[in-house]
Amino acid sequence: MKRVLIPLVLLAASAAHAQSTTAEADSILARLIPAYGVSGSEGPVREIVKSLLPSWARTETDTAGNLWLRVGSGGTPVVYVAHLDEIGFRVDSIRDDGSLVVRQQGGFFLSLFEGKPALVHTPKGDVPGVFPPRDSLPADPLALTHQPERLRVDVGTSTRAATEALGVTAGSTVTSPKSYQRLAGTRATGRSFDDRVGDASLILAVRHLDRSRLTHEVIFLWSTREETGLFGAGAAARSLGTAPARVYAIDTFVSSDAPLDPKNFADQPIGQGAVVRALDNSSVTPPALVDSVLAIASARHIPMQVGTTNGGNDGSMFVPFGVADVAMGWPLRYSHSPAEVIDLKDVATLADIIQATAEVW
Amino acid sequence: MRSISALAVLAVACSAPLAAQSLDSLTVRFAGFTTVSGYEQQVTDSLMMLFPRATRDRLGDVSVTLGSGSPRRLVACPLDEVGYAVGGITSEGYLTLHRTGRPSVIRFRDSSRVVNPLFDQQLEGQRVTVFGVLGSLPGVVGVRSVHLTRGRPTSDAPFTADDAYVDIGAQSAAEAASLGARMLSPVALAKHPIRYGDDLAAPAVGRHAACAALAAALLSHPKVSGSVVASFTVQGLQGGNPGFSSVVALRGPFAETLTASLPVKYRETAAETVMMTDVQALEERLVKWIGGAK
Repeated sequence: MKRVLIPLVLLAASAAHAQSTTAEADSILARLIPAYGVSGSEGPVREIVKSLLPSWARTETDTAGNLWLRVGSGGTPVVYVAHLDEIGFRVDSIRDDGSLVVRQQGGFFLSLFEGKPALVHTPKGDVPGVFPPRDSLPADPLALTHQPERLRVDVGTSTRAATEALGVTAGSTVTSPKSYQRLAGTRATGRSFDDRVGDASLILAVRHLDRSRLTHEVIFLWSTREETGLFGAGAAARSLGTAPARVYAIDTFVSSDAPLDPKNFADQPIGQGAVVRALDNSSVTPPALVDSVLAIASARHIPMQVGTTNGGNDGSMFVPFGVADVAMGWPLRYSHSPAEVIDLKDVATLADIIQATAEVW
Repeated sequence: MRSISALAVLAVACSAPLAAQSLDSLTVRFAGFTTVSGYEQQVTDSLMMLFPRATRDRLGDVSVTLGSGSPRRLVACPLDEVGYAVGGITSEGYLTLHRTGRPSVIRFRDSSRVVNPLFDQQLEGQRVTVFGVLGSLPGVVGVRSVHLTRGRPTSDAPFTADDAYVDIGAQSAAEAASLGARMLSPVALAKHPIRYGDDLAAPAVGRHAACAALAAALLSHPKVSGSVVASFTVQGLQGGNPGFSSVVALRGPFAETLTASLPVKYRETAAETVMMTDVQALEERLVKWIGGAK
């Protein structure tokens, strides 16, 4: 009888933990997603991250804008890094007619913003506007393209002076309005899950961390300007040099679990657990370290997938210093679009594996 | 349940005194309506509550008759918008779409004429609302992940309705059905009207703001010359404009007809924009026309 009961009790406890962490992930993302933070302007997101950390957490912000939290002491440190920034635009100039010439920040399809609402972020507050559709169509229907050549922003003014009076200047960042929305079951949609889910997973792991189990220093890092060139992580990597044993890049695993994407690789489905992003365009995780992650996941009954996908990650900036990059993420559909979709169960398992590796490895 | 709540909120708001329903707030409220062509019933239900003496014909047109005698005139505003109906549900729980209503036709230099080829592209990677039998369901239309296109040949052809798979979070056809999604459930871009400058932007805002101006004109109890039938017509974007034709057939003949409309910019996009001053001017013009002015 005991033989049956003990596994059942463990199973029930594990399910209760997963449910509770999933609910916690939901409430954290509901705070993080509405914040806007185009690369180089991550301040509002950084402040929300700080507000979501436990009261014992003493953070520092470096000159690159990265947020640091050091926990434990001694031994060889390990680093966990997730980025604060999101894709968007930056104002290049204001035209005589009051509209804005904008420059893309990060990689995405311009068509997703063509003919859609816009939001210009200024010190005076957010200024609503629209991204007008392309001015004209080509004479030849076959020359019609999916992507517009460029986008501009109309904030409802007709002169440069009127636009400037709204607080808009060259350098202002531009996005489109967004919100966090639950879908069926444990699924959710929102723009900038890349990498607010990574941020949320670090927050969850810090909250649940058993600090008494740490045998070395653990650095949690929320980095800046990942989307435009991994700049924040680069600054952090240079400051730490060869000291860390490993860096865990906590970022999106772009999944092909979607109707329009080919399934040749990245076919790790959402809802089936966090993913070791073993091979991408910026780094390779040494196979032995992949095995170590899987062994820890297995010991703690954490569902874990292994996959290969496209994209780069912050951890790759540490590799030239001899630091091994163990990239981990959660599967995401429709990357860098206003329609990104996740499964909250994956966020919970990602937080669990971060906590587990910090405590035992 | 959710659709009933939404309707109740609208009804309460609409039955509020006119003072609380300024043209401005009425226009924003109408701009938030979803009226997929042929599936306008939720909004016509609201109009029936807003105008207790209104009648609804078999197609769904809502008409209010003012005054009596001659001349007998018609003022109409087309309520509907180009949208989609669920055309199928895949075994993975995605909804596929069939467009209803006609976007404008584009003429190219080689004399070819095609329906606005960028209209359906607006769905790509955007949030939509599915009006299911159990209430409205949030969803998104999928898009290729930009990361996964790197290093692969890709087509630069516009996104079409055939490329649109609506993801409501369901993992099977049975789960989608249990959530209330059905064949023919109306689907449209999620509506969040935005004010910028003196302008108002939302999908199909031109048609909806013109209807708001007509509603405001009727609510102002205008002086009437002869009798005027004011109709909020359905299926205006279907071939032959059957809603309007139905009103003429059932309630005509009319000595004169006027269709309420507004100038827009960024037509047929989610950024379609009207100037609030134009909406105000239209309401004033409609009041005068009802009173007999040419």
